[in-house]
Amino acid sequence: MRTPEDNHDYAHESSQRSQRAGGRLRRRTAAEASQFVGNKERLYVVLGQVGSGTFGKVFKASNTANGRLVALKLIKMEAEKDGFPVTAMREVKLLQSLRHENVVQLYEMLVCKGTVYMVFEYMDHDLTGVLSQTQFEFTEAHLKSFCRQMLAGLAYLHHKGVIHRDIKGSNILVNNRGELKLADFGLARFYQKRRKSDYTNRVITQWYRPPELLLGATVYGPEVDMWSAGCIMLELFTKKPVFQGTDEIHQVHVVYKIMGTPTVEEWPGMASLPWYELLRPAEPIPNRFRELFKKWLTPAGLDLAEKLLTYDPERRITAVQALEAPYFNQEQPPAAAPVGLSSLEGEWHEMETKRERDKKRKREEEGGGVVEQE
Amino acid sequence: MATDFWSSSHYKRWIVDRATLRQARSDDLQYVDNPEHLAFLNIFFANLISRLGRKLQLRQRVIATAIVFFRRFYVKNSYCETDPFIVAAACCYVAAKAEESPVHIKHVVSEARTLFGEYGIKTFPTDNSKLAEMEFYLVDELDCDLTVFHPYRTLMTLVGKGTSAASDTEVGEAEDGPRYWGTGEGKLELSEQAIQTSWFIINDTLRSELCLLYPPHLIAVAAIYLTLVFSTTTRAQIQASSAHPSSASSAPHAHPDPTRRSSRSASSSSKKHAQPPDLIGWMAGLNVSMSLVATIAQEIISLYALWDRYSEDAGAGEKGSLRHAHALRGSRAAKEAGSRSGSAEMSEARDEGAQGEVRITPMFLVQLLLHMRQKRMEDLSHPANGRPVAVNKMLERTQAAG
Repeated sequence: MRTPEDNHDYAHESSQRSQRAGGRLRRRTAAEASQFVGNKERLYVVLGQVGSGTFGKVFKASNTANGRLVALKLIKMEAEKDGFPVTAMREVKLLQSLRHENVVQLYEMLVCKGTVYMVFEYMDHDLTGVLSQTQFEFTEAHLKSFCRQMLAGLAYLHHKGVIHRDIKGSNILVNNRGELKLADFGLARFYQKRRKSDYTNRVITQWYRPPELLLGATVYGPEVDMWSAGCIMLELFTKKPVFQGTDEIHQVHVVYKIMGTPTVEEWPGMASLPWYELLRPAEPIPNRFRELFKKWLTPAGLDLAEKLLTYDPERRITAVQALEAPYFNQEQPPAAAPVGLSSLEGEWHEMETKRERDKKRKREEEGGGVVEQE
Repeated sequence: MATDFWSSSHYKRWIVDRATLRQARSDDLQYVDNPEHLAFLNIFFANLISRLGRKLQLRQRVIATAIVFFRRFYVKNSYCETDPFIVAAACCYVAAKAEESPVHIKHVVSEARTLFGEYGIKTFPTDNSKLAEMEFYLVDELDCDLTVFHPYRTLMTLVGKGTSAASDTEVGEAEDGPRYWGTGEGKLELSEQAIQTSWFIINDTLRSELCLLYPPHLIAVAAIYLTLVFSTTTRAQIQASSAHPSSASSAPHAHPDPTRRSSRSASSSSKKHAQPPDLIGWMAGLNVSMSLVATIAQEIISLYALWDRYSEDAGAGEKGSLRHAHALRGSRAAKEAGSRSGSAEMSEARDEGAQGEVRITPMFLVQLLLHMRQKRMEDLSHPANGRPVAVNKMLERTQAAG
């Protein structure tokens, strides 16, 4: 649990940062300065910080009128350069058009004292946080439910023509009712269903980035999210990211070491990717996926994960197809949401997890063992 | 963007009634002699934003979004209390970002300065931060509702070009659920020229406040309707089909038909190129209120009547408009040439048109805006005079004018 000192620390740190930025609009944000955000009709009291992403801080707050908990995501203004960030604008537009039980809901936008906040429904945990805690043990049925909910959210997004492009543990939120919701659409965008477009290749946090992006593809579609979903599915069972590369080149090799080197038969389009020659392995590596993960996953689970982690994006399973997998519909136990999470003490976000890890690392006096990916 | 119009902010929050629009202009009305002049401002700023948008190489769709943002901003604000020029520039800047084709802020500032300079506006800031500040304010005033639906998409879908026009539709918008404006059965077949005319009419509607009053798909249908009426070829087709005995006898639909011809081909779904397209039947088959479409068509015609009394360099702001297209064809060339010399003269605010009407020029409107702003400032700085502002200002102005 957070202590008042924590709050103080954040305020201090962030006001320093905004002074550095010298932002025209956010010299000092309301959340940091006064703990109150909003106007007369919609006033929120800030309870603490729950996250900090590339696009800004996230605060937990409660609506003073009805007590409803919300997450306030502060939109960082690119100080004087280009004003309202395009990414934020895109995220707002996207979220306003989405409504699904497995997609985090944007309640409203709040402009207050020169700062823009996005007001979201509050989620108690994120997946990274909740998997790292040891109080509450997830059953097979719980994990299946998480997996199914994630795929249902992705199926909805892809149906709406949206690619998320940043599926990872800290962007998947979980509440105490065991509901899972996809969040952080800062990198997401609409795509043309019939025609694949040329996009930036610098998306998706490295550990969850599909091989085609690692090999430089700029023409891609919703399949990129499905690879990330495969990574998350394994992570549900192993409790830690499975492909932890230290840089992009290493990342490719980490994937090869587990999934084997792809063959041209498996992935005909591979050879035409920009960095294929550059990253071609000297020796073929055999696929060790089943061997490595059979102790974690059931046979039907392994089948599904393998289909999500298909090298060829053309052959990779779609979210809709994945939901029809025997893993969900035939193999026991059936999915059951971990409703017991409400008994879990505290709130588990990647931020806490990181802090715990940092403390532990300090204690153990390890130097530079874990590489953070952000 | 949001694939469902009915659940969008556009439908829920930004389709307003006339009373709201009147209320929005109530402050401005105190400072103009003739309420009509405010309607000319709608034309002027739409032209201005179009010109700026083209200088920034924005697509028509982005320009349309910018104009809609501008209209929405002035639902909540008054001309007399704001600088509409910086608002216009900010609208272009935000629309470009919102429609995924961002332009650099410096580029907007320099193009806007040059362009506005032509109208005698020398106060546009050189500083990027001023525009960024305006952007922030604009986004706030727009309630962060950045998704705008346009009639273009309905038009292209109705004429069966939904996908080929992908370059001008927002990514992700090309596909949507069941069409709410009709079944799409018996697809409309229009010539390229007729589609172009409809497209121009839609561009023209941006010079009015129609985008605040009616859903875009109705505006599109009204534009198609006017195209059918204006174009000689389609008119001939309508006459041919209504003369067709089988279609005249089978009129099962009791839709209020704006053309007052009751004809609907019984075989509307099976008809092919061989038969002339049943345009009236197609219209009647749409799931839209024909009386609303007729109202919109009427308003578009009123806009053209108003616009005829407005003089602007035809090549300037009116490119891509039906009016401009006509002017190019020579039907109005003489008139435009006559008025061009008038608008070039800075001192002459109004000039007499061919029909002896008072013609409105951009320079007149710029003067009007400055005047409104100045008077408003004076009023705000002397609030304690105890006299009802509106009445006195009206008197003062009359005296000043006299």
